[in-house]
Amino acid sequence: MKRRTALTTALLLSSSALISMASAAPGSWRGTIYMAAADYTPNFPGVKNQLKVFQQIADEYEKKYPGIKIKFYEEPIPDTNTMIRVKAAAGELFDIYWAQSYNLNSTLPRGVATDLAPYFKQPNPYIPGNKAWQDVMDKAQLAESRTPQGQIYTLSGDKVVYTIFYNKNLFKKAGITKVPTTWPELIAASKKLKAAGIYPMHAVPAYPWWSRHFLSDLYSKDYAKLTGYDGLPGQSPLDEAVAIHKGILTPKDDRFMSWWPVFKQFTDTWPKDYLAADPGKNYDAFQDFVGQKEAMLYEGSYKVREMLDAGVKFPVGAFNFPRLSKAESRYATGVNTANAYAGTGGFQYAMSTPQSNKTMREKGKTEAVIDWMRFFGTPRNLQRLTAEQGTYAPTWPGTTVKLALSNFDAGAITAQLKLPERSIGAATATANLGWVDMQRIFGLYLSGNITLDQAKAQAQTVLDRAAQDYARKNKIDLSKY
Amino acid sequence: MTALPGFRSGSAASRSVLTRLRRNWPAYLFLLPTLLLVGYFAYYPAYIAVTRAFTDWDGLNTPNFTGLDNFRRAVTDPVMGEATKNMGIWVVLGTLLALVMPLIVAELVFHLRGRRRQYAYRTLFVIPIVIPSLVLLLVWGDFYRSDGLLNQLLGAVGLGGLRHEWLGDPHTALYALIFLGFPYIDAFNFLLLYAGLQAIPEDVFDAAKIDGATGLRRVLRVDLPLLRPQLGLIAMLAIIGNVQYYISPLVLTSGGPGYATTVPALLMFQTARRDGDFGYAMAIAFLLMLLVVVLTLLSRLISRGNR
Repeated sequence: MKRRTALTTALLLSSSALISMASAAPGSWRGTIYMAAADYTPNFPGVKNQLKVFQQIADEYEKKYPGIKIKFYEEPIPDTNTMIRVKAAAGELFDIYWAQSYNLNSTLPRGVATDLAPYFKQPNPYIPGNKAWQDVMDKAQLAESRTPQGQIYTLSGDKVVYTIFYNKNLFKKAGITKVPTTWPELIAASKKLKAAGIYPMHAVPAYPWWSRHFLSDLYSKDYAKLTGYDGLPGQSPLDEAVAIHKGILTPKDDRFMSWWPVFKQFTDTWPKDYLAADPGKNYDAFQDFVGQKEAMLYEGSYKVREMLDAGVKFPVGAFNFPRLSKAESRYATGVNTANAYAGTGGFQYAMSTPQSNKTMREKGKTEAVIDWMRFFGTPRNLQRLTAEQGTYAPTWPGTTVKLALSNFDAGAITAQLKLPERSIGAATATANLGWVDMQRIFGLYLSGNITLDQAKAQAQTVLDRAAQDYARKNKIDLSKY
Repeated sequence: MTALPGFRSGSAASRSVLTRLRRNWPAYLFLLPTLLLVGYFAYYPAYIAVTRAFTDWDGLNTPNFTGLDNFRRAVTDPVMGEATKNMGIWVVLGTLLALVMPLIVAELVFHLRGRRRQYAYRTLFVIPIVIPSLVLLLVWGDFYRSDGLLNQLLGAVGLGGLRHEWLGDPHTALYALIFLGFPYIDAFNFLLLYAGLQAIPEDVFDAAKIDGATGLRRVLRVDLPLLRPQLGLIAMLAIIGNVQYYISPLVLTSGGPGYATTVPALLMFQTARRDGDFGYAMAIAFLLMLLVVVLTLLSRLISRGNR
């Protein structure tokens, strides 16, 4: 009897050991994992300084698990969302692909990406001592990419740093000796540039980008309240929808649009061509900056690499979003909001589903793909990837930012990155909000085609509809909050 | 049973069809692959559009039947209202542009002395057809910029006061897009009208000359009535084309400023591609399809009335 008990115990122990080994290893599936790695793609054709790190990580994985191959898609994808829709409809989506979590949560169909939240709660065997993969991730970023039902479709680990780049030669030509640090200085510099026949900026003023700086200042005292409706750090679309529903992030609150006339002072110095245009037309702004037609460019850190590729020879500097004072708005709190806008960057990977990718129906493939994600999704590998790429800042605790800004005066960007990230906006609750409807109203106001009161009325309509759409689509009672 | 004169009984008709099928089976067999392809690539998508217009569909998952919701949304959506108004302006002005300029040029070229000259001018007007339309759009986008060619020309001829942000102002953006492409000589329309003029017998022109119908009077009294089939065809194609057109607003303005250059076809495109709301997009497509069918039937009725 004792022998039988011992045998049973031994069998149980060995089987549990086998199970735990199986969860750590890619299992029995063998084959090729296809990945569209976007900005981290190794050996991308036509790129001067080719990236190698992701291929090295893949080689390490293949060496560890012979029989599994990692293949990177090496063609440019001009329109990611269309690619996802088309390939998913055919059941041929990549096993892993880059996508914005915002799109996966709103405009892209359910079923194109696997919910990664359960996997994030499990240990990542490739991180020593890890109890849950999510422990090494940025908590605010995790919360911001959650759907109201708790799904998380992307493994996110980096962000874009937004700043105001400027052409030092053109500033000098206009007689500007000091970069602006306050709003009046920015307006004065813009007027000097305009008087010298130089466009201060020539761009579509993107509402979701600029508004973050202003709203994060004007609402800074309510930060905890506005980000806390869902009980998680950071401002999620749910937090945003609740604040809209409560009339806080709407024109009903005087702070909400009090900054529009302040910002208009700035855009009044720009040519009007793009003020009321679609943000998708912003490529002209970059061309004008490279062509030395405009002196300033408000853009993300990814533009540094593009400037290098475009052969920019003139000296480029960067300065941060100027602080606001009571002189600009009586609601200004004086908080430094330079770091308020930071879009998620290139390390933002989703995994397809058996519905969007027929090969995921193969027994054991999902586990194998997850295992590969766990392998490259460690802080160490995130650090290696971002350090080589040089345009995105890793967000996971313990990682350090290494931007490839050697040719640039990057003091402002590095200073900005040290600031705590506190961001308030009203742009992501539904698909049409922010980039579409608010952008149109914003553009019409800035270009002088509607008054502030007309803009307020239109914005209220848009926001009300956005909150209703959010509640209807996600089956949420906003009045509960 | 005696068959009525001029009518065949049902069984006789079906017998006749079967006889014809049996007799001409090789021809039908050769037609079959083409018919199948047309069915799959033309009729099936139309069927999908019609059926999915009554659903809430994201393009991937099973559609949910929502009845007339999408149509209710379309007819009550203020953006759709503005887009429809824009489309109306575009159809009227676009049709005029499609007819008038090619007609004037066809008349001028047709009445040039010497076949070589006619051939040379004809070629000159047709050559631009090889330039990709997207290139033309982007070039015109640059022309319309505040520092673009159009404003520079206005400044150069002393009309600096007329300088404008052509695409940035909601009052001018739609017209800037409609009037894009000066001198508006569509090669196809021009050749169609030119061929129509060539088809008029010389005797008719001689008779007109004897009757004193020369110059503009001849154009009005002789050419235009005899060009009616070509003009009707061009007008019909222009109306259908302009109802369905959305490329220049998409490329140059994305339907802005505000919704000043949004047309229903662009709204359909953006609703599907950008918002992933395929059910509503299909409803807009269905409404556009109905409009085109109505206009086509109307044109058939008008052309029958003219016979």
